[in-house]
Amino acid sequence: MSLLPPLPDEIDIHPGPALLDGIERGPGLAAHRQQYDEPRASSLVELQALVEAVGLRGRGGAAFPFATKLAAAGRGRRALVVVNLAEGETASSKDSALALRRPHLVLDGAVTTARALKAREVHVVLPGDRPVAAERMRAAMAERNDAVRLVEHVTEGRFVSGQARAVVELIERRPNLPVTAWDPEAESGVKRRPTLLSNAETWAHVGLLVLRGAASYRLRGTTSEPGTTLLTVTTPGARPAVHEVAYGSRLRDVLPVSAAGSPGIVGGFHGSWATWPTLANALVSVPGMTSLGAPLAAGVVLLPGSSACSLQVTTDIVEHLAGQSARRCGPCFNGLPALAEAVRGLLEGTGSQQRVEELCGLVARRGACAHPDGTVRLVRSLLLVLTDEVVAHRHGSCTVGVSDLAGAAR
Amino acid sequence: MTDGPLLWYLNRGSGLVIMVLLTVSVVLGVLSVGRRPGRRLPAFVTQDLHRNIALLSVVALLVHVVTAVADSFVDIRWWQAVVPIGATYEPLWLGLGTLALDLLAVVVVTSLLRTHLHHGLWSRVHLLSWVCWAVGVAHGIGIGTDLEDLSGLAVTPTVLCVGAVLTAAAYRLGLVAKRRRRRARPARRTDVVVAP
Amino acid sequence: MSRELRVDWPECRARGLCHELLPEIVQLDPWGYPLVTGEVTEDLLADARAAVRACPRLALRIVGS
Repeated sequence: MSLLPPLPDEIDIHPGPALLDGIERGPGLAAHRQQYDEPRASSLVELQALVEAVGLRGRGGAAFPFATKLAAAGRGRRALVVVNLAEGETASSKDSALALRRPHLVLDGAVTTARALKAREVHVVLPGDRPVAAERMRAAMAERNDAVRLVEHVTEGRFVSGQARAVVELIERRPNLPVTAWDPEAESGVKRRPTLLSNAETWAHVGLLVLRGAASYRLRGTTSEPGTTLLTVTTPGARPAVHEVAYGSRLRDVLPVSAAGSPGIVGGFHGSWATWPTLANALVSVPGMTSLGAPLAAGVVLLPGSSACSLQVTTDIVEHLAGQSARRCGPCFNGLPALAEAVRGLLEGTGSQQRVEELCGLVARRGACAHPDGTVRLVRSLLLVLTDEVVAHRHGSCTVGVSDLAGAAR
Repeated sequence: MTDGPLLWYLNRGSGLVIMVLLTVSVVLGVLSVGRRPGRRLPAFVTQDLHRNIALLSVVALLVHVVTAVADSFVDIRWWQAVVPIGATYEPLWLGLGTLALDLLAVVVVTSLLRTHLHHGLWSRVHLLSWVCWAVGVAHGIGIGTDLEDLSGLAVTPTVLCVGAVLTAAAYRLGLVAKRRRRRARPARRTDVVVAP
Repeated sequence: MSRELRVDWPECRARGLCHELLPEIVQLDPWGYPLVTGEVTEDLLADARAAVRACPRLALRIVGS
């Protein structure tokens, strides 16, 4: 079973109620304008009110309140706007889905915001590892004729390439890798200018708000969490599926029947394990799922299935993440490979949980970006949520029924 | 006082002292960079010594310049201490000495202001200290009374200093090569496929 | 005002001077990188500033809140 999509641009994109409404008409500008008209120019105050009315949170994984970023960027001089299409998570395909089917919604959101901030450029950061999505977004940019300039950048295609500071570095023509941020980039980003950098889906929501208004936005979702969000559901052997769901709906509605009964990972490679009962009863909600111990983050649900050993899956992911370190921060590029080895020890039943926890403590929050933290989150969730599996392996067996652990390890 | 051999001896002596001090400073600088676990001296001591010895060499350089200019036996003007061309006395070798002084000045000033500078910039300027050392030694060999022939007093110290700096340079290049190997390019996302 | 010693991780090369000068709150991890275990209190402020100045990579900052 391969968790990494073999062809990241082959995605099943399901039509949805808001963002993905009308995608069957095609991604072109003409079809988009037929559905939506030209966006009205907004002042910064109007835009601020719009996003605050629905409590818009970022969709890049941190769920940061967009209004706060907008305010920070608005306070400074010569702000710039950045659209980040490099999904932070390998298993996420929602930004590619938007690039393929709804690029102009993303661009309308970014362009309107840029004009409100009196910024003269919108920087669009395309994913270097998803050439088809990048090409479609390029084509969409070429169709447009906005008052602001659309500047294109292409990432280097690593796991950490989409990280905010790594993107700022890319725009400043340095290697596309994270550096330490002493201030948030909304205050001091590209060339020390206020940089409003958000995920493509966030911009799509801004676009929707600008084109349709807050009242219409609030028709979906709940009172405390209005609107919808994009989820990527990955199961072995199938293409990743992107669904648009309203907040408050049942997560189970988008999970395939074949996944029932087995645990899954919510959030992606930097996510958390959750048992099947948790998944089955969960409602799609940022605070809700965080309180269940399975934060939504970038909206990825990985379902390895009933024949997969969760320790094997975790070991594979951690080994992959260890190789994806930017190799800039000592605790990360030394600690993650050591952690991968320790997790493999749990898989083979020879290692100690104490060693794993020790390494988690040494690696977390000691780096320029959240790469080590995310990896630790996944490992800690394994220990916390799937304790039975860990114990079983220590006694030489596996709950999935794989009897020869050393052989199953590769 | 401007006549007679005293100033001349002070000049030659201070020249030798500068070479030795700068050599020790360069070696200490290289030792600061290498991470050797179980080293006997704490790193901050090595670093402080490197810095203080370099500053001492500035003092020795001041003596060297003042004695050269004040000595009426040779015609060296004040401005020739900082401008490397236009001297009448041994223009090439004196010019090299002046160049070494200029380079040392840049390195020392940027280091005193290190915390206010971007680290990358400071680091690149600091590389000039190797050039400064080499140019200074060339100046000594070309203009130096004590290096006129192989029986000169300064021959052994010079050979030892050159040997020390060449060794330090080789060690430093070795560290650079080791760092390059350790920081091989990060893997691309699509390089790894999880086994079925 | 509580002060924290923060490390600029991509710049740090594990030279260890910070641990030598501020052992009260800086230990070293198994790979030689600094493990900051406490706040910079008033009595440690002078030593902390010395550590910041001494770092050969200028990879330390005292951040207050």
